[in-house]
Formats: sequence, structure tokens, C-alpha cells
Amino acid sequence: MEKKFYTITKKDFFDLFGRLLANYRVIVPYAKGERLYFDDFCPEREDEIELGGIRQSQPMKSFINPAREALIDARKRDSRPVILAGVKACDLSSLILQDFVFLQGDVEDPFYAEGRRKAVLIGHDCTYARETCFCLAMDGAPYPQKYFDLNLSPAGESFIIEIGTIKGSSIIDNFKMFFKEIDHRQAESRQANRDHVSAEVKAFIDKRGTQNTARIKGAVKNSYNKTELWQDFASTCVECGACNLVCPTCHCFILYDEKQRDFAKRYKAWDACLYKTFARVAGGANPRRHLYERLRNRFEKKFDFFPQVLNYFACTGCGRCIEACPGDIDLREVLKGCVLGKWNKPPHG
Amino acid sequence: MANMKNPYSYIEAEIVDIVDETSNIKTFMLKPREGIGFRAGQFMDVTVPGVGEAPFTPSSDHNVKGRVDFTIMSAGRVTRILHGMKTGDRLGLRGPYGTAYPLDKFKFKEIFIVGGGVGLAPLRALLYALFNQIGDYKKIMVRYGARTSKDLVYKQEIDSWRQKGSKVDVELTVDVGDDIWKGNVGIVTTILKDLKLDMDNAVSVVCGPPIMMKFVTIKLLDMGFADRNIYLSMEKNMSCGIGKCGHCRIGPYYACKDGPVFTYDKIKDLSNIWE
Repeated sequence: MEKKFYTITKKDFFDLFGRLLANYRVIVPYAKGERLYFDDFCPEREDEIELGGIRQSQPMKSFINPAREALIDARKRDSRPVILAGVKACDLSSLILQDFVFLQGDVEDPFYAEGRRKAVLIGHDCTYARETCFCLAMDGAPYPQKYFDLNLSPAGESFIIEIGTIKGSSIIDNFKMFFKEIDHRQAESRQANRDHVSAEVKAFIDKRGTQNTARIKGAVKNSYNKTELWQDFASTCVECGACNLVCPTCHCFILYDEKQRDFAKRYKAWDACLYKTFARVAGGANPRRHLYERLRNRFEKKFDFFPQVLNYFACTGCGRCIEACPGDIDLREVLKGCVLGKWNKPPHG
Repeated sequence: MANMKNPYSYIEAEIVDIVDETSNIKTFMLKPREGIGFRAGQFMDVTVPGVGEAPFTPSSDHNVKGRVDFTIMSAGRVTRILHGMKTGDRLGLRGPYGTAYPLDKFKFKEIFIVGGGVGLAPLRALLYALFNQIGDYKKIMVRYGARTSKDLVYKQEIDSWRQKGSKVDVELTVDVGDDIWKGNVGIVTTILKDLKLDMDNAVSVVCGPPIMMKFVTIKLLDMGFADRNIYLSMEKNMSCGIGKCGHCRIGPYYACKDGPVFTYDKIKDLSNIWE
């Protein structure tokens, strides 16, 4: 299929998913209250599926680089490729970093490589914004521009589908009967929705005074030695690591071994740099003994290390860490504090 | 995962001999099942199957094929169990990782080696490499300290280093003296003095506990060593060994990939390097 855009009705799209189940594990977002959660596609639950909206509560990385994976004696690995639908731009754009870490360098991580190669990523434009959204400040947008195999845009009871890769187009090729030509009017409505949601995100950014990448540049490095500032930022941190685990750009993992009857098993599991033991060595030395140093490290890694090694601010503006933090630590406010060199601590509670 | 090179998997290695160095340090001589080479200064991850792994720099001669030694202190969960293992038991090895000592850059120079405690282990691998080409180096000086005379490693062997000729000069010290010890008493910096070194042609290589490295570095700078000529072994939590897991980051570097040996000029402005 040489054309880049098609249209498909919602009903046909779900029928297509049903057929794809034979060869794929199909993961879609379901609405649960105000939140969206990825889960296996189940035709009986079609009413609950919400492909649009904003990013889901789980980061997309869960399905490419699972939270825990057996590396040695991996006896039961689900070998079906995953189709992940309804993925938002703030997850897709993190792949620049995840690919850099796991696919580049001297050695490729074959587990990530396999997960990444097999996954079919079907994006979807955001259809509204939440107060915690700030993708535009991080040079992103509330609609996928890269890293999708197919992307969906809402058009009434249909989707406009954009082809991003050969992998995406081959899925369409197999089910040509479902797809129709796109008309001019539909193309315009797609742009109108994108502009509308972008304006919503921009309004949230402006209202809060969220700093953008141009302002953030160098700010974390420059405030590195302002110990009191970082102690203030960390004053409500409970070291739970939630910010790490929900973050689309966090990639750190721990290797651990387990004895199982007659063989040894090795696992890779997501780790969190907020944990006290993260950098500690057996002799007891710990370069980040204090909690504020560990919180600072998280920001240093994202806003100083990755700009140096990848020319990339390692935040997509998804806002998950803001929602996940039980201490109400707001990444936007920490960055603002770094830029301004001071922080007006909000009354807690 | 068939036919896929798995960087997290290991090669089996048999313990062929164990030397008790001190009350809590042993040298394990391993025979890997497959060829696994290294260059002095690089490290490997040693697996105790079903328990876990930890990074160590081999202490043996990198020119000897089919065998690799590790001198290991019992310090954590993995090493405590390792210390209870016997000849014939099996371990796992993966690596080598990191950068080697730049022997080419050391040529025709005075090499000033400072070790503390079990930190002499990677330096022993370096010494073997230097002794193998002893004609290439102007001088090889070793300054080694441990807490007490009972905590010195390679006691028998150190005497043989002294017999390598006039180019080699070895001095030892202990922090706390006793009846048997006839040598210098004092921390290792007390034997870093009255040295006639050609500073334009000298490099120093240091390995030991963080606090020792900190004070040795201060002393070396004071003696006139340039930042770029001080080679330090940075003990960080190196886990994956391939720059992916994130644990051993120091500023813009990963110790497992860009180190574990760094020249002082590269790391001096980074925070908490001695912890």
C-alpha cells in the first residue's frame, strides 16, 4: 500500500483486532473512572475500550521491556508479537532514549531488541489534555509524529489511519477490505482536533508557568550545589520509586539470581534510583547516601546526563510522575525551582 | 532466545585452587570452560550460581591462557557465600568489561603504584603485565599498605617482585604495628615521600578503599603528579557491565564502560567520587 492515509470505521477496527488475535497479543486501553489502563483485547469489553483520551496509567515500556523478565532459563516466554494500540505521543517519543540505551553501545540487549522488533505500535492522537500534561514544553506534541507503525486520529465514528512503517502497512495490506480512501474534509478535522488539544496543553503550561526545554537547559547542572534547594524538593519524598517505575524514559534495571530446585535463574527487573541501595557497593560506600542526593540524581540523569550523551532531555511531559508521587513532588515545580534558583514550598496537605 | 547472544549469561568456571591470603581475603584460581581473556585493569562479573554475581578485576597475568584468578574480600552477600566454596565447585564468569590499563601510554615511564588492602589485586595483574615487558619501563615502584601485617595480601610473592632487578622498588607499611612487623608503621601516605621521580615521565596507578584513594590522590598532586597521570580505580556498583542498567554512573560516565579506571582529570569535578 503506497498511500499514507486511510480511514476505517470503529466497528471494523475492532473486528480487525478480533482477527489479529490469532497471531498477536493485542493490548488496548480500557477506561476505568478518569484513568486508562492497558489490558488484553477482549471483544466482550469493547464498550470500555478508549483508544483516544490521554496516555494510560502504565507506561508503554511495560510491554516492550517488562518490569521483570527471566534472562537465563527463560522457559516460558510468550513468543506472540504484541500489538499495542492507543499509544500516545509521550510514550512513543521515549523510544529515542530506550533504543539508545538498549540497542546502541558496544552490546545490544537482545531481550529488549526482541520486544521492540516484535511490537506493533498503533498510536492515537490525544483527544483532550489533563492538568499534568506538558508535552509541548518538552518539545513534544499531543499527537504522534514518530516511532508509530500506524497512527489513529478520531473522525466521528471512524478513524483516520496514518501509516508510519512497513510493519504497519503490512497489517493493512492483509485486510484491505476494511480500509477506505480518506477525503479532504476528514484531513481537515484531524488537524482541527490536533490544534484544539495542543491549545489545551499550552493553556495548562502557561497557567502554571511550566518551564520549557529552552529555559531548562543547564538549570539542573547550575543548581547542583544548592543543597538546601534539593533538600526542600526532597522533604516529602518517601523513597517509593513510583516516579521511576511509571516514567517512560527511566531505563535502569537490576539483575538478580534465584535458586530453583535444580537450576539457577537470572532475572532483570526495573530498578529505581531513589532507593537507598541503588548505588551502594558491598564494602558499604554509597555515593548517594542522602535522599536529596538521590532525588537530585534523578534530575541530573534526565536533564544533564542525557542532554550530554544524547542531546535529549529525558522527559516527555507525560506527567505520570506527578500523579504517582505520594509526596506531591511535582517535576515541573522542581525544574522551575532550578531555573529560578529558589522554590516557594507549597503548603502540604 | 535460541541463537541469540545473551550478554547476561555466563561461562562456567571451576575453582581449581584457593589461597587464604588473610582472615577475610582469598584468591580463587578459576579454570573457565571456554576461552575468556582479559587485559589488566578490565573486570569480570563472577556468578555464584543461584545466589548472584559481583564485579571483580582479575589479579592474575593476562598472558596466561585458560586460567584467571580473583582475589576477593568477604564483604557482601555474594562474597560471603563464595568464601565458603571449595576446590571443584563451579562459578560463572562473564566479561571482560571496561577499559584496560593503557600499557602503551606507560611505556618508557616511571610507574608509581599505590595499593591499599585488597586493592592490590588488580595492581598485581598490572605488575605481571609490566614485568613481562620490563625493558619497556624506566622504573616500577610499588607502595602498599594494609591495616595490620596480617592483612597484607600476596606476602610470599611480594619478595619475588623485589628480585626483579634494580628497576623495581617495593615498600610496605601497616597502619597498626605488632611484634612480628619490622617495617614502617603508618598509613600508606607516610611512605609516599623522599622520592626522586621524573614528573614529566611518571604515572601513578592507585587502587584501594575510597578514603585511602582520596588521601593518596591529594599526596600525589602535592608530589607533582599531573591530574591526567593519576589512574584511579573507581569502585562503583557495576551490575550489567555493558552500560545499560544505570547503577554505576559517575557524571557523564558509566564506570563499567568508561572505567573502572579513570584518570583524575576526568572525574575531579564530579560530586562524591570518594564515596
